[in-house]
Parts: sequence; C-alpha cells; structure tokens
Amino acid sequence: MGRSYLSLAAAALAYAVILELLLVAAILFFPNFEENIEALRMMAGISALKNIMTQIEDGGVVAYVVGQQFFKGCNTLGTAAAILFAVGAVAGEVHRGTFELWLARPYTRARLLTERYVAGALAVVVPVFLTSATIPALCDHIGEEVEMAPMMLSSVHQSGFLLAVYSLTFLCSTVGSNPTRIALVFLFSTTFSFATYMIEQVTDYSIFRWTDIDDFMEICVNEALLPGKLAVFLGTAALLYVAALVAIRRRVP
Amino acid sequence: MSTAAAIEARGLAKSFGSKAAVQPFELAVEPGAVTGLLGPNGSGKSTFLRMLVGLVPRDAGAVAVAGRALAGDGAAVRRRCTYMPGETALYKELRGDKHLEWLLRGRPRAALSRAVEVARQLGLPLERRVRAYSHGMKRQLLLAACMGPDVPVRILDEPTEGLDPTKRAEVLALLEADAAAGGAVLLSSHHLAEVDRVCERLFFLNDGRLLADERSDELHERSRRLVRLQWAPGVSAEDLAPRLRELGAIEIRCDEARATVLLAGADPRPFLARVAVDDGLPAPRAIVYGELSLHELYRDLYGVEGV
Repeated sequence: MGRSYLSLAAAALAYAVILELLLVAAILFFPNFEENIEALRMMAGISALKNIMTQIEDGGVVAYVVGQQFFKGCNTLGTAAAILFAVGAVAGEVHRGTFELWLARPYTRARLLTERYVAGALAVVVPVFLTSATIPALCDHIGEEVEMAPMMLSSVHQSGFLLAVYSLTFLCSTVGSNPTRIALVFLFSTTFSFATYMIEQVTDYSIFRWTDIDDFMEICVNEALLPGKLAVFLGTAALLYVAALVAIRRRVP
Repeated sequence: MSTAAAIEARGLAKSFGSKAAVQPFELAVEPGAVTGLLGPNGSGKSTFLRMLVGLVPRDAGAVAVAGRALAGDGAAVRRRCTYMPGETALYKELRGDKHLEWLLRGRPRAALSRAVEVARQLGLPLERRVRAYSHGMKRQLLLAACMGPDVPVRILDEPTEGLDPTKRAEVLALLEADAAAGGAVLLSSHHLAEVDRVCERLFFLNDGRLLADERSDELHERSRRLVRLQWAPGVSAEDLAPRLRELGAIEIRCDEARATVLLAGADPRPFLARVAVDDGLPAPRAIVYGELSLHELYRDLYGVEGV
C-alpha cells in the first residue's frame, strides 16, 4: 500500500542517514587512527581484530574505509535492515489480520508479492550505494584519495550478500505469521554469526566470512567483482524469491 | 459451464487436513437477484466464498464468475466481481477515504467515486482514521468498497454482521437495489431473519455439505405450514405420531415430548382444532406456529440439531 511504501522509504532514509553518519565519523577519525594503529593493534585482545588491524595497515585508507563501510556498517546495520524490511512483508499482514484483504484485490499474488519484494530490496541496497558514493568526497576532505569504481563494485558485492539475507527472511515471512518471532530469530542468528567471526577457531563458520575485508580488498585491488561469491549470493536470493512465490500461491487466508 | 448464471460452481471441494471444509455440490446464482448462503458458524460458507474468488485453492471442482472460469489464483475472476471478506481487520493508520482508495486500487476511478458516495450515504466519517471506527463502521467501509466498482457480481461474506438494525436495513436495501439493476449478489449469513427478506434464493450449508437449495418464498410457505406441539415430560411424541398423521400431518419429526408437524395447508387452525378435541391425544402444553429462526429451520425442516 502507498502508505506502507512511504513508511519503508522513511525507514530506508533513516538507515542511509545512520550509515552515512557512521561513515563520516569513521573517515574523519582516520588520520588519528593511522597515527595510532600500532598501539591499537597491541591493544586488540582478539586475534581476529589484530588481523583486521594488519589488513588496514597493509591496505591503507582503502582497507580502512571498506572495513568501516562494508564490514562494519553494512554487515551489521545493513543485515538488520534487510531482516526488518523483509519480516513484515507477508507475516505482518497475517499477524494484523489483513492478509485476506491484501489478497482480495484484483491482482495476482505473484504481482503483490513481487511489489513487496522489490520495494524492500531497493530499501536495503540503495542506501549502500548512496552512502558508498560519498566515500571519495569524504576521503578527499581528509586529504586521502579513494576511487569511486572500487567502492561501487564493493557495494555490488555487499548488496548481493544483503539480498540473500533479505530473501531468506522474506521467504520466512511468506510462510510465517509472527513477524516479531521471525525477526528475533534472524537478528539473534546473524549477531551470533558476526560474533563467531571474531573467534579464530570458528571464524570460518561465520557467514560474514563472505563479506570481510579480504573480499573487499580483493575487489578494490583487482577492480573486479568476485564472480563466484556474487553468483552464490544472487543465485540464493533468486531461489528464495521463487520459493516465496510458490509459498504464497499455496497460502490460505 | 453455462454462461447464463452469474456464478456457477460445480463440485467444489476443499479439505484442511482430514477435515472436509466443503464437500462437492452444485450452485448457480442468477443475475438480478440476491442469493443467500446460510449456515451456522463453521459450516463452510466463508471457505466456499473464498474458493469462488480464488483466495482458497480448491481441491476439486470448477467455478465460473460472470462468465470467467476460475483459473490460477483468481485475479481474472476478482476483476469481474467484488468480494467483501468476513474478516474486519483494516489498516488502522489510514483515513477512511485513503483506505477506500487502497481497497479500490486496480479499479476504474469511477469505482472510488461511487464507493465514497455509498460510504457517505451510510454516514461513514471518511476523514477519520480507521482506528477510530467501530466494528460496524469497518464493515460498512468494506461494503462501500464492494459496492463501488461497476461489476456484474458481488460476493459478500456476512455483510450485515455487527450492524445495528437500521444500518442492516440500509445495507440490505443497497444490495436489493443493486440486484434490481441487474447485478448478482451472493451473501452469506448465519441469521436467517436478517437476510431472507432480500434473498430470492437460499442455499443452506452444514458441515460443508449443501443441505438445501430453496426459493425464499417456498421456504416461507413451508415454514408457515409447520406447527410445533409440546407435551408434558414423559409423553412420547413418537407414540403419538400415527394419530397425528390421521389428523392431517404430512411429515412429523419427533423429539421426546415434542413433535414438529408439516401440514398440507398454510392455515393450521383445522388441524389444531382436531388435535384439541381428539380423545386419543393428550392436551399439548404449548403450540408454536409461525416464522422460524435459523436454528429452528435446521432442526425442524432439515433435521440438523445443534445449529
């Protein structure tokens, strides 16, 4: 409905603003960070954090920026946004009792579901691109140079990951009826997965291994996408979307 | 399927797990009339109506609405009819007029104007948010949206539910006017007295089965020929049945000390006079005659208890 799309747009704007504020703060802090990186690395208690410091030291401002924008900002806030934007799509209608009303209009279920899917997906990925597009200008402000193209390629990679998370939540929303429960399960699971990234022994089991600084640095250095990983993200998202279409067809008000 | 009927359903069936919600039956709704689908709660009315518009996928059978066979998820059928759900949940944050706009998305602009007109006619405050609406007002908003589009068929699940008697009469008058203009209206209800005056034809459901398909005037005529006799506890109506037959009863349904008798004519007085003077019958404690409630109709005409 028009109003819910407006609410979604407002939420997406808020998400973009927070991402941008995090980014601005991080970039303005870079000179100070760069000066003290050795001391910071010594202070880092976890080996995963030490690794991140080393990657930043080796990669310079680009590594720092992709770490801040993608690994930290989008992986945490973006994942939460993907979950929250997807969770109410169908389960929200069922929960508030408007599911039948939503379906009763003269549209196919596929169209209704696709409208919701596309709107939510745009709300998740557009802020990633918009905020990433400001990185070169922000870096210029502190006397550093970062190219636009690697940032956009990194945004594509990050968006693929977020779309996969979004699509999985969307499928669960299509078959479920309690959006709060679905959101809690997903937020808990992704937070847990982010935490496991920091533990050396289990770090490879974290989904965020697919979107860490190594990946973004590879994209930035080669100025090319990681086709294997991106194919997995987009393929997963497409499969989950098709599964949601099948599920909505069978769903009874 | 024939094209004359506005709605034609053949052998529609639906089960949820092991529970048969609707068992196969035939139903045809003619244009230019209001048709009632009656039954107690849980009799399968809503499931049947939802199947007609494709909201519940059918296990078997075929449906055509306004000449369009139901296929896929029913979007093509829903374009040729309007459907008012039995659920009353609305988007509370919207104003009445905006909600009407949302409900009529995908319809010609004129549908919204007509719906607003109907809503105003019913006295709905469209400038207020839906969260301030009473249950009855929400039902009226849904009804207004249903009456807006210029379509040949309207399918309404309990349109008078939750309305006060005045509003109920207004709503039924609207439906009558639509039918008089050539539209086909199929409505469900579990209150016979509310809808039978506007319905030309009535379908009675129970436990997902079609119990009866009656013309309203014939049903009234039959109900006028029904007399209920109640004797003192201990008297067996079953034992008295042969004598009642001799006195003019065509059909008798007995339940302990009560007998429901179907007479040949609409005037019960000759029969009652014979009962009063008959030496072979004890004097009844109560004699009931007249219109039937849905509960009585199911029990006395169709022999279904517990409705």
